[in-house]
Amino acid sequence: MNSDIYREKLIHKGAEANLYYGQWFNKKVIFKRRVPKRYRLEELDKRIRTERTLNEARALIRAKNYGVNIPQVYEIDVQNSTIVMKYIEGEKLKKILRTLDNNKKEEYFKKIGRDIAILHKNGHIHGDITTSNLIITQNEDIFIIDFGLHENSDKIEDKSVDLHLFKRVLISSHGKDYEVCFNAFIQGYISECEKENKNECNLIIKNINAIETRGRYVKSEDRL
Amino acid sequence: MKKLCLGIESTAHTFSVGILDFDGEVYSLINDIFMPEEGGLHPALVREQHLNNFMKIVNRALSVAKISVKNINLIAFSQSPGLGPVLKIGAWVARMLSQVLVIPIVGVNHCIAHIEIGRLKCSIEDPLTLYVSGGNTIVSAFESERYQIFGETLDLPIGNMIDSFARDAGLQHPGGPKIEKLALESKKYIPLPYLVKGMDLSFSGLYTSAKKLLVSTDFNKKYNLNDTAYSLQETAFAMLTEVTERALAHTEKKEVLLTGGVAANKRLQQMVEYISKEHNARFEVVPLKYAGDNGVMIGWTGILRYKAEGGHEIAETIIKPKERMDQITVPWRSEN
Repeated sequence: MNSDIYREKLIHKGAEANLYYGQWFNKKVIFKRRVPKRYRLEELDKRIRTERTLNEARALIRAKNYGVNIPQVYEIDVQNSTIVMKYIEGEKLKKILRTLDNNKKEEYFKKIGRDIAILHKNGHIHGDITTSNLIITQNEDIFIIDFGLHENSDKIEDKSVDLHLFKRVLISSHGKDYEVCFNAFIQGYISECEKENKNECNLIIKNINAIETRGRYVKSEDRL
Repeated sequence: MKKLCLGIESTAHTFSVGILDFDGEVYSLINDIFMPEEGGLHPALVREQHLNNFMKIVNRALSVAKISVKNINLIAFSQSPGLGPVLKIGAWVARMLSQVLVIPIVGVNHCIAHIEIGRLKCSIEDPLTLYVSGGNTIVSAFESERYQIFGETLDLPIGNMIDSFARDAGLQHPGGPKIEKLALESKKYIPLPYLVKGMDLSFSGLYTSAKKLLVSTDFNKKYNLNDTAYSLQETAFAMLTEVTERALAHTEKKEVLLTGGVAANKRLQQMVEYISKEHNARFEVVPLKYAGDNGVMIGWTGILRYKAEGGHEIAETIIKPKERMDQITVPWRSEN
């Protein structure tokens, strides 16, 4: 292996990919490697890992064009289904949320709402907005990470689903803070998205409720 | 004499009666399975068969168990989810027996029963369950008082998908076992759509693509039915295994349970066992007899609920064809 590029340590083992911390030409980086899954046919496995690696890398690169903080991609190694990207120093929002006062929470979630609206406006659906996929740096920049489930879409439906999933995450993982956070988030989202198209913005927000009642076999009064 | 429960399963193609005692020992299990000459399960035809046969099944279960109906202490029946016209028959029979014998009645959620019989028969405590059958495809685990659904199909259930494909290929219902056999004859993979959304699955696109392979001009030239069956299985089962692994990583359970009719498939067992080992989790498949729909699992779950909170009033025994398992609390389980 090139001595300018090396993995130092495994920092996270996910169901799909392993994250390694390391160096890449004197830069601190993350190696996100989609590991082979031996339960599936090699041919199928290779196809899935390649597709997903390319999708994610493309998404990271494209979504970075609009002023939202997203890790820079340095290298894509399709052979090893690995993406090398900038290491973001900071804490996961999930970890520090409880320590924040309400003003800070509102400030952060408004900002997150605006960022997501900017991505949506440009046709990027993150697909997995969670508090683990948001990193707060020392100078309080908010980074959006993990574009593994990203999709390109301009559909109102897809945007609403993205918001709905975040709502579910907030309820299940941060029940007590849910209201403050989600309200601020939606406020931020609307402030950005109504600049473009007020009508569509209203439809996106309204559609969140429709989605909640749509789950398989769910009666409207039983969902959430 | 030990207390006895008679459990009635009647959600789809199987009308089944199981008799067991309150410790879980099984005295008898009699199944009557609707087999269409062509096509799939037409609810009206299934209903007719069950209506004609239920009395015989109940009587056979009693005679095999060598007990009189008067010795039964509890009636349990499948209350949800399933085909409405079919669920009704089980409910009628249960209400009738309960009222004639003046004994308590308990309605049971069919999906929860699949998990509970697995916990009993595999002596497993707190599993992550992959429940795969003709009507359901669910990844579930016990969390905050309920069997939560971590992942599920967004459209077709896996068993339904395979059976439908088999039917398109000219095979008779049930197609699953036939597809499994054909797949063993092939090693040639034809790429098919693979759709996993987080922990949820979608099989409808896969089904359409596989169906198209059958009518393509390349069929029986570049590839044959065996290859299509093989590719369909490999793709669908890899999807199931992937979401199971995700749920396993998320819940950090130490046991994995495979149940439902499709659990009989050896290839699926192999794949789920593989990921269980990788996560140091114990892997169990529910014994075939109890993996498919059966009256024993209904009886056992009925016993658990009855012990925890007593029986249901007749008014509460209304069928719920679309009830989700995560809508129901599970008072007999509090550990975790």
